[in-house]
Amino acid sequence: MVLRLENVNKAYGSKKAVDNLDLKVPAGSIYGIIGPNGAGKTTTIRMIMNIIAPDSGEILFNGKTIDASFKNKVGYLPEERGLYKQMTVKEVILYLGQLKLASRADISSVMDGYLERMNLLDYKNSKVEELSKGMQQKLQFITTLIHDPEILILDELFSGLDPINIELIKDVILEFKKNGRTVLFSTHVMEQAEKLVDNICMISGGKKVLDGTLHEVKGNYGKNTVRLEIEGDGSFLRELPGVDKVTNFTNYYELTLADMSQSTTLLKSIIDKVRVNRFEVIEPSLYNIFIEMASPSREDIKELAGQDAGRTAS
Amino acid sequence: MKKFLTIFKVEYAQVVKKKSFVIGIILTPLFMLLITLLPAFLAKRDISTPVKYAVIDLDERGIGGQLTKALERYKLDSDTARQAYDLVELYEFEDSERERLDSLRTELDSLVRSKELGQYVVIYPGVEQNDSVLMISKSLNIRTTSRYDNRISDILSGMRLEESNINLPVDSVLQMTRRIDMQRQAPGGKSRDFLTIYFGALIFVMIIFISVISFGQVLMRSVIEEKSSRVMEVLVSSVSPFQLMMGKILGLGAANLTQVGIWVLIGLGLFVFQGALNIDVPETVGEIIFNPVLVIFFILFLLLAYIMYSAMFALIGAVVSTDKEAQNFIFPITMSLMLPVFTLMYIVQEPDSAISTIVSLIPIFTPTMMVARLNIALPDAFTFTNPIILEATIGLLLSAAFTLGLIWITARIFRMGILMYGKRATVPEIMNWIRHK
Repeated sequence: MVLRLENVNKAYGSKKAVDNLDLKVPAGSIYGIIGPNGAGKTTTIRMIMNIIAPDSGEILFNGKTIDASFKNKVGYLPEERGLYKQMTVKEVILYLGQLKLASRADISSVMDGYLERMNLLDYKNSKVEELSKGMQQKLQFITTLIHDPEILILDELFSGLDPINIELIKDVILEFKKNGRTVLFSTHVMEQAEKLVDNICMISGGKKVLDGTLHEVKGNYGKNTVRLEIEGDGSFLRELPGVDKVTNFTNYYELTLADMSQSTTLLKSIIDKVRVNRFEVIEPSLYNIFIEMASPSREDIKELAGQDAGRTAS
Repeated sequence: MKKFLTIFKVEYAQVVKKKSFVIGIILTPLFMLLITLLPAFLAKRDISTPVKYAVIDLDERGIGGQLTKALERYKLDSDTARQAYDLVELYEFEDSERERLDSLRTELDSLVRSKELGQYVVIYPGVEQNDSVLMISKSLNIRTTSRYDNRISDILSGMRLEESNINLPVDSVLQMTRRIDMQRQAPGGKSRDFLTIYFGALIFVMIIFISVISFGQVLMRSVIEEKSSRVMEVLVSSVSPFQLMMGKILGLGAANLTQVGIWVLIGLGLFVFQGALNIDVPETVGEIIFNPVLVIFFILFLLLAYIMYSAMFALIGAVVSTDKEAQNFIFPITMSLMLPVFTLMYIVQEPDSAISTIVSLIPIFTPTMMVARLNIALPDAFTFTNPIILEATIGLLLSAAFTLGLIWITARIFRMGILMYGKRATVPEIMNWIRHK
């Protein structure tokens, strides 16, 4: 375990933001903390970053309680992004890199490579304020990597990114992992998280709902789910016999069946009504698992279905 | 330490690279010259055109006539720096003609009001017994008043002299009774006039005031900006809040010293090359620039004032979220820095009074007050037998201790406040931050 949280608690006044949380982040993995807004993700991450102190519990990095030296080994992307608007791209990268004790020479030797990958090389000497929002996000992502950290901690990784940039950043994260490094990120967009994580931890109301590898988590839920893509209105799906639950995603439906052996009968009755583009038996989505486990509120459900990211997601 | 140096360098470079830094270097001395020279310039303004005046003489001894003759002298000299006078009319009649006096005064009053007449003088009978001379004018010009005063007094002296049968020319008697102009000297034999001391002290106090206020506000804005742009969270994930605060305070402080250093160098340059540049730097100014005790104390107090007030500005930046909110807090800070400027008239007159001493030992007033007092005393050697040196040293230590305490408190508030976005911290919250580890 590269990072461990043991019985960590944090309360703001009488409200428990993080409630007895245990996390084990294996080295070389991509670890996702997933939950709706207000679940305690940012508080957890800020405690790992030593920005706020836990009320009780322990946070260990490589078996030792985190201290000031941890700050140099981590690359951190806060939930709310921001850079010096008056500095040039190059100055910002150099400054933030040096604050992590990287040398100017080391930073300069990798800077152009990252800028190139993020399509920002032409803006190297432009002021940050001249960059678009998306470009600033990519620049900030570069600053988290520039000092070659051992672990990346990315709060609300996908917020404010368009699909093309999400892909760019995913590639870099996967490559970072390939070099044996660890990535911990949080998101409320389950659809996106699912494509990236090895391990997950779902939290709700400051409490852990479940955790484990993606495979384990899904394995525990059996194959009673069908992914369905149709043309036209799918409101009739709920009325079909043998269907327990219908989840409406942006471009497809997820059906939870009472009995998997009835799937062929089900497909027939759907084909009678609409044109079917895809009918696939799949593992349940994280979203559905979360709904089942945490029984979240109506607002949380909306958010978790990725309606904000869904509009742009591929 | 390395992180502190990185912040220090970046903060320094960010300020020094800006155009406003260069503009400040040029404009601030110009501004100070303007405020010191403007009053003198304004006072000289009206001399070119003669002032129109009238005299009503009810005394019947010819005082009015002598007065107008005396004032003609100024008319002849009008190309010198003196104000010239232009007589409109001399009215001489008896005191019994009250009605004529009343209507004449009404007429002249309206002329004064419409500025066609600068002033008029009414000389009542028996003027030497009861000081019954009146001058009616709109302006409060001290020189004009004293000119009439002196001339009429001289005329009366001459008259009394003639009545007393002493056979001497009037001028030589006036010469005999002439008052002396006393010069003050400090112990040690240095003599400077009041205005030189006043403006000397004022300039030093103003340099502290301007640099502390301007750089302190730069610091405060940069904290507010880092908070509102959320860079703050990235920063505290890399450095400790204390490193960040000290890096910012000292980085900007170095920029401040650079600016003052450039002024001092320009001042020294002007003084050293005054011959070549064909300018005349008064010796009294040179005494200040070349007084090592004064200059060293000044630089120490400037630094101390800067760090002390910067800690306050950093604190404000940490607890507010917008510039606008910050303005409420800046006012008391500005006032405490301005206090010596308001009270300088008194301090110059009584630099060693109990009040001056006590107030200058209150840490937040020490830097400016002590610099003002040192300027007045102008010590020529560093020795504790000189009370001002002893007091300045005590003041330096006291305010340094105060500053350390202030930094400790600010660091605790800063640490929490910088991550509080969008809402101003309440007093109970702040007290809580100071108490908790």
